[in-house]
Amino acid sequence: MEDITLSINGRNITCPPGTSILDAAEQHGIELPKLCYHRDLKPFGACRLCLVEDEKTGRIMASCVTPVAQDMSILTESPRVNKHRRNIVRLMIAEHPESCIFCSKGNRCQLRQIAAKLGIGETNLYPMPNYKPLEQANPFIIRDLSKCILCGKCIRADHELVVVGAIDYNLRGFKSRPATLHDLGLEYSDCTFCGTCVSMCPTGALSPKNTRYVGTPQRESLSICGFCGVGCSLAMGVVDEKIVEVNPSHLSGTVNGASLCVRGHFAHDFLNAGERLLSPLIRKDGELVSASWGETLEVVARRLLEIKRENGPQNVAFLGSSKCTNEENYLFQKIARVVLETNNVDNGGYVSGQSLLNLIDEKTDGRYRIQPLARLEKEDAIFVIGADPNHSVPVVSYYLKKAAKKGIPLIVADPRRTELVDFSSIWLRVFPGSDLELINALAMLLYRKKAYASDFIIQFTEGFDVYRRGLSSLDLDRISRVTSIDVSTIEEVAELLHGKKIAFMVGHGILQQRYGRESLDAVINLLLMTGSLGHEGAGLYILARENNQSGARDMGAVPYGLPGGQSLSNDLARRQWERVWQVKISPDQGLNMVRMIEEAEKGNLKALYIMGENPLRSLPQPERVRSALEKLDFVVVQDIFANETAEIADVVLPGAAFCEKGGSFTNMEGRIQTFTPVVVPPGDAKPDWEILALLAEKMGYSKHYGSLERVKEEIIGSVPMYADPGGHGYTPWIRETSEKALFRPNGKGDLIPFSPVISTEDEVPDDVYPLTAILGSYRYHLGSGTRTSRSKRIQEFDSKGEIEISPGDGTKLNLHDGDTVRVISRYGVVTRRIRLEDGLRAGLIYVPVAFNDNDARNLIDLAQLSRHDSLGWKTCRVKLEKV
Amino acid sequence: MEPKEVDWGKLTSIIDKYSNEKWGLIPLLQDIQETFGYIPPESINLIANAMKLFPTEVQGVISFYAGFSLKPKGKYVLRICRGTACHVKGGRSILRLAKRELALDEGETTSDYQFTLETTACLGACALAPAMMVNRAYFGKLSPPKITNILVEYGKEKKEKLKDVRDEED
Repeated sequence: MEDITLSINGRNITCPPGTSILDAAEQHGIELPKLCYHRDLKPFGACRLCLVEDEKTGRIMASCVTPVAQDMSILTESPRVNKHRRNIVRLMIAEHPESCIFCSKGNRCQLRQIAAKLGIGETNLYPMPNYKPLEQANPFIIRDLSKCILCGKCIRADHELVVVGAIDYNLRGFKSRPATLHDLGLEYSDCTFCGTCVSMCPTGALSPKNTRYVGTPQRESLSICGFCGVGCSLAMGVVDEKIVEVNPSHLSGTVNGASLCVRGHFAHDFLNAGERLLSPLIRKDGELVSASWGETLEVVARRLLEIKRENGPQNVAFLGSSKCTNEENYLFQKIARVVLETNNVDNGGYVSGQSLLNLIDEKTDGRYRIQPLARLEKEDAIFVIGADPNHSVPVVSYYLKKAAKKGIPLIVADPRRTELVDFSSIWLRVFPGSDLELINALAMLLYRKKAYASDFIIQFTEGFDVYRRGLSSLDLDRISRVTSIDVSTIEEVAELLHGKKIAFMVGHGILQQRYGRESLDAVINLLLMTGSLGHEGAGLYILARENNQSGARDMGAVPYGLPGGQSLSNDLARRQWERVWQVKISPDQGLNMVRMIEEAEKGNLKALYIMGENPLRSLPQPERVRSALEKLDFVVVQDIFANETAEIADVVLPGAAFCEKGGSFTNMEGRIQTFTPVVVPPGDAKPDWEILALLAEKMGYSKHYGSLERVKEEIIGSVPMYADPGGHGYTPWIRETSEKALFRPNGKGDLIPFSPVISTEDEVPDDVYPLTAILGSYRYHLGSGTRTSRSKRIQEFDSKGEIEISPGDGTKLNLHDGDTVRVISRYGVVTRRIRLEDGLRAGLIYVPVAFNDNDARNLIDLAQLSRHDSLGWKTCRVKLEKV
Repeated sequence: MEPKEVDWGKLTSIIDKYSNEKWGLIPLLQDIQETFGYIPPESINLIANAMKLFPTEVQGVISFYAGFSLKPKGKYVLRICRGTACHVKGGRSILRLAKRELALDEGETTSDYQFTLETTACLGACALAPAMMVNRAYFGKLSPPKITNILVEYGKEKKEKLKDVRDEED
């Protein structure tokens, strides 16, 4: 269709048909007052402040919901428009309580700003404020609906952006207000406390509940969220060098847009917790005492070098952090590999099964990582397996729910009825650990239907013959039995997937399970068979639990790799790094996180440097980990908190949280997001990169990193994957290269192998421990909860991580909601309250992690690592006892 | 007041009837309202599931229309007209009398779920002022004795009689 020309305030403007008058005006720098408009929401026309007049017809219309028409002659400030606009604002103010003086929205209130602009002080109307009781029973959001102007932004954000539906308009006329179901408090509704509505509310009707400061922050700075792997863009409000408020940033094109989750929005008060480390500590006569940076670093440097000299480099290990920046992880592994000459370096991402991703790297030669979440809304079909993104990475679930609402088939394979199931086309209630069988069965059925991409298979893959022979030997009835899914349901899913490119979303249900590696293989096989890998808008999305899990791996903070995702066993890569660093690098893999503990136990490890990790809280069998760590001659902990592990350290170095330093994080999509400090670190604490730089210097390393820029330059110069520095509001993606034919422009190169079809071993019934416990997370905590459990708001929130039990088992064991039980496994005990949950199958229980000092880890075994790198920490056999 | 028992079988069969219909929400709600005399709040989740809507959206529709009620109503709903014509003709004393006779305030329901007393802005039957409706039947030119008689008649639960009245009016 042809463009439309019209005039706005006398200026001739051309724009495509369908554009609203408001957008057309604003694109040409003509600002209009508005309260209900938001660029990420569908236009609504509720506030009527964006009124404009068409000179030709004399019509007055709301410009946000009126499309442009040929030859319109629009006036945005005509006397008539202004008169109406003023009256609307006067009426709004007449209904508004006169509480501006103690309203936390203060000068940011848009109603007040617009009134000020229109010169409305006194309304000269009879005030009739609509008093509603203040609601603030939950620790996150205060609702003062007397200040509500019914713009519907909160409702639309809830429905369109977060897709929860906790609130909608209720009643009519003067009584109309946004309300939850049955008009109960938010804590009794489906509300996930993502706070998106709070950030959008133009008035003080919704505000964050602050314990220590009420009002407008002195300044606002941008940062990247330090919790999960989504990497949301934040605007952090600061008062007196303390973060008091967090909102989504106003930048466009960010992963989170205008939304956040409860952790990002409300849990950052952990930054102001009392247990922050403020100065370096050294253990003297058994007590940790304050010391100067100089003295402390001297001790660390001397002891580490001593141990290396006396016991050899293999006796020193470095446990880095999936929460620290790329620059810090780079320096960290460099100190390990160059100064101490050991490959014993890992990061906390190990706990969430990140080491399995090595497998995909090998198969695709590193090409699978760039997966923008925004593409999810354009997929053919989405298959979510072993993932509960509504809790682990909430912003991802917003994308999934939006896609499902658009009509994209969404298949959810999960033993529990997760919140995503309500949006799914089909829910596969797969028995824990049998996902592999399910995927194989689907592949078999698709193969039988001839729904495979022959050209793709011939051109880009190898080993299909062996694979298809493996498929044809499968027994569908057996699979139906082990997965506990009807044959007809599996067939229904195969029919749904027939001829479609599939996007797999893989979560920790796969990454942390016993058959993690084999399940990932099966998923990749299916992606190859259907030609979905490398296809725009399909492929493999791997959930990242922590903000910089991907970055830590890319920077080489892993025992098997080097920066840039290169393998230690790759001679070419190793030699290149030997040249860059001027050292000899051993091709032998170092110790991973669990092996570090095991070797310490055996006395084969003497020193451990831990940065930003809390293994005493995150690893299974804490007593075993504690005694292993106590056996070490020298333990350094560099952290922001005096956490469990810091308490047994010989030296404690106070680091900085993400918003107290600069650097970059790589999110689960493959974006490299750079950020600068928002506030200064508390007390004597220092940014972690600075601590590492000073330490390297103390250990006699010749290169001095006086500034973060010097670290960045080294990464840009030597890691091609990170060669694009970004900056100035521009976020680069990682650069992927691959020798595989599929990813090469000319289509010539190496082939990607299919993996053989493998079956799971049949579960042996266990009379002593008859139940299977699934360990998973709730949205109020991240990982093992070291940070989130220090958030005052999360502490106050009345969620104690009740254990979910199926109604069937509840009846059998005579248990009711609120009863306390002991969950006993071969390795430990957890005592907690229970909740009966309809969505669970009998025989399964769900134990939320991170609550109660993360006691759920007591249930599992540290070293179930017999099967490759699969952790097997997702489930365990247990029995229940009523207390 | 005893909470009203809900016949879940009947309710789910009504919901099933509309679950595949596009734009079926309002006809569905009307059906439930007609059958039960109100929309049981506990049914909102079921309705939302069937119609693929958020429960709050369903609640929003119910609470928007005066024709839907979330509270159980009596078997007979009295709507006393408070329009201008009825007011002039003594509608106020009719309301006062009805309140006294039934021992109810506006919007209330007797504990045996027989009567609900409501007022309405205008029934549009000004020629019959003062007027009221009982369910779908109109009663005009009311006077205190007439009110008492009508109430006694409904109070006696003469079902056949009620049917007759309704037929006449239809």
